[in-house]
Amino acid sequence: MAILPFDLISGLGDLRVWAIWILPFAAALIIPAFGKVSKRSTGWVAVAFALASAISAVTLLPGALGNHEIHNQIPWISSIGLKAGVLADPLAVIMSNVVAWISFLIFVYSTGYMKGDKDLTRFFFWMAFFLGSMQLIVLSDNFLQLFFGWEGVGLASYALVGFWYKDKKKDHVGIEGRHVLGLMDYYSPTHSGMKAFIMTKVGDVMMLAGMFLIFAFAGTFGFRELTANTSWATAMAAQHLLIPAAVLLFGGAIGKSAQFPLNEWLLEAMTGPTAVSALIHAATMVKAGVFLVARLAPLFFALAAIGINMDQFFEIIAWVGAITALLLATQGMVHPEIKKVLAYSTGSQIGYMMMALGVAGLSKQFVDGYTAGFFHLISHAMFKASLFMAAGSILHIVGSRFMTDMGGLRKYMKKTYAFMWAAGLGLMGAPFITTGFWSKDAIFAAVYQSGNTWAIPIFAIAVITAVITAFYTTRMIGLVFFGNKSKHVEEMEKEGHHVHEASPSMWIPYGILAVLTIGVGVMGLAFEHQIHDLFVNYLGSTFGIKSNIETVAMDSQPLLGGFLQGVNPVALMASLAAFAIGFGLGYIFYIGRFVDPVKFVNSNIFFYAIHKFFLNRWYLNALIYWGFVVAPLYVARGLYKYFENFVLEGFNVVPEKTMAGGARIMQATQTGVSQSYLYIFGVGILIVVFLLLI
Amino acid sequence: MQFVLLQAVLLPLLLSPLAYYLGRKSGPTAAALFSFGLLLYCTVLVIVPVLSGSYEEHYKWTQLFGEFGLLLDGLASPFAIIIYLVSTVLALFSKPYMVARITTMFEERMSSEKQLVGGGTEMIESSSLKSHLNHQIGAYYALFLVMAMGMLGTVLATNLIEFYVFFEVMLIPAFFMLALWGYESRRRVALLFFFWTHVGAVILLLGFLSIGLSVGSFNYADIKTHGIPPHVLALAAVAIIVGLTVKMASFVVHMWLPHVYRASPTPLNALSSGAMLGVGAYGLFRLIIMLMPGQYEHFALALNIWGLITMIYGGIMALVQDDIRKLFAYSSISQMGYILFGIGSASVLGLSGSEMMFVSHSLGKVILFMMVGAIILQVGTRSITKMGGLAGKMPITAVCAMIGALTLMGVPPTSGFMAEWTMFYGALQTAIQQGSMIRMVTFGLGLVATVITMAYVLWMIKRVFFGKLPENLEKTKEANWYVTGPMMVLAGFSVVIGIYPDVFFNQIIPFMKGLVGV
Repeated sequence: MAILPFDLISGLGDLRVWAIWILPFAAALIIPAFGKVSKRSTGWVAVAFALASAISAVTLLPGALGNHEIHNQIPWISSIGLKAGVLADPLAVIMSNVVAWISFLIFVYSTGYMKGDKDLTRFFFWMAFFLGSMQLIVLSDNFLQLFFGWEGVGLASYALVGFWYKDKKKDHVGIEGRHVLGLMDYYSPTHSGMKAFIMTKVGDVMMLAGMFLIFAFAGTFGFRELTANTSWATAMAAQHLLIPAAVLLFGGAIGKSAQFPLNEWLLEAMTGPTAVSALIHAATMVKAGVFLVARLAPLFFALAAIGINMDQFFEIIAWVGAITALLLATQGMVHPEIKKVLAYSTGSQIGYMMMALGVAGLSKQFVDGYTAGFFHLISHAMFKASLFMAAGSILHIVGSRFMTDMGGLRKYMKKTYAFMWAAGLGLMGAPFITTGFWSKDAIFAAVYQSGNTWAIPIFAIAVITAVITAFYTTRMIGLVFFGNKSKHVEEMEKEGHHVHEASPSMWIPYGILAVLTIGVGVMGLAFEHQIHDLFVNYLGSTFGIKSNIETVAMDSQPLLGGFLQGVNPVALMASLAAFAIGFGLGYIFYIGRFVDPVKFVNSNIFFYAIHKFFLNRWYLNALIYWGFVVAPLYVARGLYKYFENFVLEGFNVVPEKTMAGGARIMQATQTGVSQSYLYIFGVGILIVVFLLLI
Repeated sequence: MQFVLLQAVLLPLLLSPLAYYLGRKSGPTAAALFSFGLLLYCTVLVIVPVLSGSYEEHYKWTQLFGEFGLLLDGLASPFAIIIYLVSTVLALFSKPYMVARITTMFEERMSSEKQLVGGGTEMIESSSLKSHLNHQIGAYYALFLVMAMGMLGTVLATNLIEFYVFFEVMLIPAFFMLALWGYESRRRVALLFFFWTHVGAVILLLGFLSIGLSVGSFNYADIKTHGIPPHVLALAAVAIIVGLTVKMASFVVHMWLPHVYRASPTPLNALSSGAMLGVGAYGLFRLIIMLMPGQYEHFALALNIWGLITMIYGGIMALVQDDIRKLFAYSSISQMGYILFGIGSASVLGLSGSEMMFVSHSLGKVILFMMVGAIILQVGTRSITKMGGLAGKMPITAVCAMIGALTLMGVPPTSGFMAEWTMFYGALQTAIQQGSMIRMVTFGLGLVATVITMAYVLWMIKRVFFGKLPENLEKTKEANWYVTGPMMVLAGFSVVIGIYPDVFFNQIIPFMKGLVGV
């Protein structure tokens, strides 16, 4: 495999790691200049730099698979003694490759998807800026530098969600005129961008507090320094600050990964161009929270060796994940907008990852849950990016975000149809052939085997969520591709716009990812074992977390011969059943169309109420708006009107009036009439005389 | 290197008549470029000695007050550099704004006079407008230069009386600028400003006199070595704190600021918010923390809480403003609250972050005030509800304003983040060291305040730059380079400092270490 350019890049040594995140930033810097010459060229600059960055990342893979670590530091804020650095351990390298290659594909897709937009320069500037920031998160060796990337992706997300800043009607999300608890459930792009930025900032603020707490005791932000010397943890545990600090750090992950209760921004983030939704709000940025937890979880788990129990921390992660998975999946079942369904699904699937990582910390076999969570991250990145891009090309061609405006498209967009099935099956967890099946199965197994008191309820939630996932995915595909053409499509055709396949620059990227979902899926178990082994080594050598390889074989009986060696039978049965039930129900309603779903929901007050409850987002969004936007603004207006402008204004008015009043009195005495002066003078003399006489 | 700082301080004062003369003789451009060049030269004079560490100059003064010294140490240098940097770029920005302002005022007066006298004065009008403009712009730049030197002098002073004199010198030009070129009810507001700041200044002087007379010297160095007698300590500390927090517009004594900012011409707003308010913070560092460390320990928590209240209150008020200048007025109050919060943090990094906050707030707020100026120039309205969608029409202004906004919100890679993280971390450190629950709570609420800041800033950006463009703004154009150039320079600085904060931290942190005694 020794090809010349590969060696050349490998020869750069540690610089490669820096190049991964610096190259996209460099692209962002030069894109405006290219934009002056030709707007279209900006896309190619972005693609070229993303490719260079991705190649740089892939050269690190061989080393990472051998559990080799690159840690390189340079001076930064020397007055405080802080250093900047990159840390390319197996975790970071794998994540970095996932990010780099998916970004590259989405950049290619964007050149087609955004063709003809008059703000291409701005679009690609932010895409490149995003990629640089994301890789910075992945490769940073300390919290402070990571936070630069962390806010950078937030900023890029803000800018790209609100990309169509003119707030035209077609760029909104939600249904116009629909109200929930008296508030409109209909959002403009710029509102959504702001909402995303502020809601994630709430998480970021918590993360900062957690970082500071740790820094106050450890005196360092460095991940490796924190692992090397854990006296800080002992000191913090003694003051009962360790778990709060860890949970605060997790707060950052909650915000960034749109987990309960900071999940609501992700749905409105769908106002951005679909390429953005695929890249930022499905494949990469929202995974930053998972990555952060994956960075920190071994660190905290390893503290068990020095007698510090972090169970509460891991329980919170597991439960937040479980609640989010269920909460968002239920809403995904009922929404009519295709991107919002995918967004709900994204949040829900990330919930799975969090659940796995949380459960990892609660079980004896840390590496199982850890691998499962990370494996799901990779497989989800592939199929969800593919689904989003496919949905984007459908939106592009149909010109509506509502699935009810589609229908019957399978005859006209054959490639997209096929790829959407492939990726959709991945999301549903179709047995044995998709990555989604294996990664979800791994999560089920990890939860089931963890032996924790919460294992069974969390397992139940996971399985129910899987049923729902299979259902809503089938529903989405059924609504879009099956049945008859909608009125909207017919009208379009009357006007002469025919439904056609997307251009190659669009379908090739999502085609590749869809094929990979199946391709990797066929070898899923082997792939999983590969990651598992890598993480066993990595966790063992870096954090000293011992994994007992024997237990895996002990817990599971050989099933179906050698093929399913090491698969937990209960988890396997649950996965199969969940897929069968969800897909079956979906088929009845949306593909076979034996029962009309609308009539079915309206037939029964119970179904109707549940449907409405889900459609209204469990009222969570409305309550957040009431509590944190509407009411505070009301109070602020009152405060301004009555306190600031009335009570405090007294400081200005009272002296002014007193002085003006005093002046008027003084003025009144200066009459300029001699008689009155003489009169006063006389009275004065009399008083003096009178006083002298006494 | 001799007389370097003396030049930097006195040249603008001595040459201010020349600015007036140039303006009168050759028009606004000459006056603007002269002031710009002069201030640029003086800025270099301030930066050069900083490169080689701490630097001071001493001159003989009267027997009564002590010596006239100019000191540029780790505390003073960031303040000095930023004050002159901001003044320099604002000298450019002032030109288009003040020309437009003076012209409008002239036309308004003419039209009201015309109604009295009757028509037929166009010929006289055009020639008299030109001479009126030249005359006024000359006066403006003369005042501008004096105000800049007053602020620098305050920061470099080594003597209480010297401090006070410069402190007053910077107020008087501000008063005239407000009274001459302000907006509605400018005379009343100018008096209000004069009244408030003088009440503050007089209280400050009271503190100074009580220290100076009891110690027998007004020099900082002498006061530091001799120590202040305990019977005047508390009185002096309270007087100085009150005097300076009026200047900083802390909660309750902030009432002058919204009025003044509403009525001031925008360059004055920028200069005042970016530099003048910070002088109050400088005074707290120099006079309270350095000269009265004992009293500082006593008051630190109170200052911390006061800062917290100010930052939250200012932020809440900024949320509900429609006049964009009042929005930034309350935002300035809130940001000064941040600085006060940091001053009360009683730790090296907290104090360093607080000073960095001044740097960062100056950069960010001056950019944003220039944005306000650009909008007033190009659009002609100050009401946020009448704006919208301007990003497409004024892209450079929008980008720079966004960087300014990020600086204010403390988002990396702008200087705001470097300031905020060190400052809040410092507050937390003290909370842990002292085991103080109250400090823990103020730390947490301080972080909440950053979310409020973010909310009002982003909402402002959304309403001004995004959304639907009102039809009457269809013809809006980008501002000229007098406005966009300075904005880009400051935006660049903010990012550079945000990535490489050692530019200032290298001076600030060693000084603060010496101050707190770590």
